[in-house]
Amino acid sequence: MIELIHLQKKYGQQTPLNDVNTVINDGDVISVIGGSGVGKSTLLRCINMIDPPTGGTILFNGVDITAPKYDVTQARRKMGMVFQSFNLFGHLTVIENIMLAQIDILKRSRQEAYDKGVELLKLVGLAGRELSYPDELSGGQKQRVAIARTLAMDPEVILFDEPTSALDPTMVGEVQAVIDKLAKMGKTMMIVTHEMNFAKSVANRIFFMAEGGIYEDGTPEQIFEKPQKELTKRFIFGLKSLDFEIPGPEFDFYAYVNKLDTYCVENCIANATQHHMRLVFEEMLLVLLTSTLEKQSIRVTVDYSDKEKKAEMVFVYGGESFMPADSENALSYSIVSKMTKSLVHHYDEQQGLNTVTIIL
Amino acid sequence: MSLSEKKQKMLKKIGRYLCTMLLLVAPAAMASFSSQPSNIVEASAANNGNVSSIEGFVSDSLWKSEDNETLVIEPKSKAKTMADLENGNIGVLTGSNHNDHVKNRLPNAELSYFNTLSDMVAALQSRKIDAFASDDPSGRNVMAQHRDIAMLPEMLENLDYAAVFPKSVKGGELCDQFSDFVTSLNENGTLKTLQSKWFDASDLSQKEMMDYTTLPSTNGTLRLGTFQNPPFAFTSANLNAAGYDVEIVALFCEEKGYSLETIDYSLDAILASVINENVDMAVAGFSVTEERKESIHFSTPTYSGGTALLVLDDSYVPAEGDNFFTMIAEGFEKTFIREDRWRLFVSGIITTLIITVLSIIFGTALGFAVFLACRRGNKVANGIARFFVWLVQGMPAVVLIMILYYIVFRSVPIAGEAISIIGFTLIFGSAVFNMLKAGVATVDKGQTEAAFALGYRDSKAFFRIILPQALPHMLPTYRGEITSLIKATAIVGYVAVQDVTKIGDIIRSRTFEPFFPLITVAILYFVLAGILIFIVNRLGRLIDPKRRKKKKLLKGVQQR
Repeated sequence: MIELIHLQKKYGQQTPLNDVNTVINDGDVISVIGGSGVGKSTLLRCINMIDPPTGGTILFNGVDITAPKYDVTQARRKMGMVFQSFNLFGHLTVIENIMLAQIDILKRSRQEAYDKGVELLKLVGLAGRELSYPDELSGGQKQRVAIARTLAMDPEVILFDEPTSALDPTMVGEVQAVIDKLAKMGKTMMIVTHEMNFAKSVANRIFFMAEGGIYEDGTPEQIFEKPQKELTKRFIFGLKSLDFEIPGPEFDFYAYVNKLDTYCVENCIANATQHHMRLVFEEMLLVLLTSTLEKQSIRVTVDYSDKEKKAEMVFVYGGESFMPADSENALSYSIVSKMTKSLVHHYDEQQGLNTVTIIL
Repeated sequence: MSLSEKKQKMLKKIGRYLCTMLLLVAPAAMASFSSQPSNIVEASAANNGNVSSIEGFVSDSLWKSEDNETLVIEPKSKAKTMADLENGNIGVLTGSNHNDHVKNRLPNAELSYFNTLSDMVAALQSRKIDAFASDDPSGRNVMAQHRDIAMLPEMLENLDYAAVFPKSVKGGELCDQFSDFVTSLNENGTLKTLQSKWFDASDLSQKEMMDYTTLPSTNGTLRLGTFQNPPFAFTSANLNAAGYDVEIVALFCEEKGYSLETIDYSLDAILASVINENVDMAVAGFSVTEERKESIHFSTPTYSGGTALLVLDDSYVPAEGDNFFTMIAEGFEKTFIREDRWRLFVSGIITTLIITVLSIIFGTALGFAVFLACRRGNKVANGIARFFVWLVQGMPAVVLIMILYYIVFRSVPIAGEAISIIGFTLIFGSAVFNMLKAGVATVDKGQTEAAFALGYRDSKAFFRIILPQALPHMLPTYRGEITSLIKATAIVGYVAVQDVTKIGDIIRSRTFEPFFPLITVAILYFVLAGILIFIVNRLGRLIDPKRRKKKKLLKGVQQR
């Protein structure tokens, strides 16, 4: 259906896409994953020509849509796109959002457009909200309206650009459920996402993007269980365990909290657990930093097992033997101990290393 | 005052009502009414003993004091001879050559420049200046209406007053014709008759002016420029020109078979309009000077007089019953009732409204058109638009309008009204253009992307999705621009348009009474702006997509 040949996109000095080659078949549901800034969104925006590529060719049903004389609106009518920020038309009601393009572009009658809109709202679980304005809806509801608006155009393929990234975690599920439903209906879709469990479960094909292109392409099993290439392995492993070192008392605290949060999102860790992990992380740092160990660096490793719903955090630091329980900061320690199922301290005298293993 | 007692009673009532308002609004305005001098400045001892010079003058029939002989000058009075004004602050008219006359005689005096005689009267009465210079007939006219103002008997300069003509062949010929005519009028005594008619102290509105509007146009039309300089030239109640000089021109036209068209300019604009041949000739007591002769022709003088100095006369004692309320009642009567002057205001309102409303309509259309041409980032279109916006917004509106009138459309016979509409269309168009740019920028880029993704083309996406969301954001700015515009139109008087402000000036130049005309003009602007804003708000509600009724939302749809 869509064939990308030597696709390239440059922004000034940066080249997020450099030589992308692939074929997207009818019925494919593709999850596009990869680190930040590897051009996942750019790839989608190139395909429907919102950000036209700077080189290469896109064949859509055999037609070169990058040709200068080609009217790209023709291709866009058959490609739906769902945005991270929903982009509902703020001046129109929900039903009008869905009707407008049907009337303007597909020349359907108002009645046809209305009926289709009502039907699709039912599909996305928003029957009865026809006359609401977008600003009266929650983020999840807005995204579902956006999906309905896209579906109303009967697209041959739907491109989802991080559809749940802008959502409150409580609303991610409702949108994912709708996308899942569409996948089961056999729609051709490409989904850029950071939620790995969702990426794995919804798709029949995964694009792992790195180094300016599709680095590895395979089924969810291939990519998530047996990745072949080095960067994929590191990414998939990195997903499962978070590992970083805090150099000393002078450090960017929020950068590390953010790392922890990102890790939690990618692993679909429940909200409450994420909150606990963050609290433990903060309080442990306080315990360690206010102790005699100020000048030592601290290595933090986080592991999460999806099956057992169990999180393990390991703090390794040098110096003399120091038990967190001995800390002068009794308040922080008491918070940590309340959050944890177990807290074990071990001191390796030969290497002079403390290891605290916490299980949540 | 030829008013019945009943009318006077009514006016007093109105006066009392207005008085309370006045006390709330502006205590300062009271100064303009207080014809009773308050002796703020202690005069020097030199003031003593100058009684004779004033007495020489007060024996003139203009003086209304009941008993000239017993008039006593108080020692505390203001300047009484020219020497007293040596270090004084003297008001002069911008564009007149009175400043030179003052400098010649009183080199140490400080000069203050004013645009109208009525402004100077108000300034003198509120003691912002010590005296002002004026042509002697105009000065007598001022005195006729203000018993607390006196003219120094000593002239600053003796002068001839004449009509002016453009320095072209046509202008020269007309000048010769007119000069011959004036000479003949002088010989047969008509000039003297006219002088005694126009220059005596009685109220100008009581004087009969010949009707020039029906003159047959057997030899073409004469375009006559004037400015408000009673009694030489002024606008009468029927909005036609009147006055001593105007009547001479009317007689001239009658004899030569011209029909007469008059255009009223501001003082600082009238000479430029003669030089540019916007008019065939101009009259309004122009004094003959060598410098002026370099750029215009002067006819044979129509009057020989001079430049006089007018001062406050503290010896004036208000007549019995001349209290604050009657002053107000009189001011009200002079401003609105006499000569049906309220009609002038009505015509001014219509002019202001036409200029404003047409400028809004054309300016909005222009701003939209330019914005659409520039929207796609066409570099040439953007460059041109940016240049014009920079040009139009970079200069004061009054300068732009005058450049259009005197330079750009110099050789095109086009009315000041049309020039004003063109100028304000450019000004308002620039504002609308900037407003659209800012308003459209408030709509998130994602809206355009979403429209594109649905298959919209650029222009349709703009009109269907972007613009409807941008318009409600722009409405407050648009309202502000309209208020600015209607206020900005107050300058059209510079190009001979009689809008509300100009009408206020015309009436002030007749009554020398600032309060009612100024306050009326201010209130009129509030009311007119209010009406326009009301209409725009109504329209704004129509275009606000979120205010639509449910019935309209689902028009043409059967709910199942």
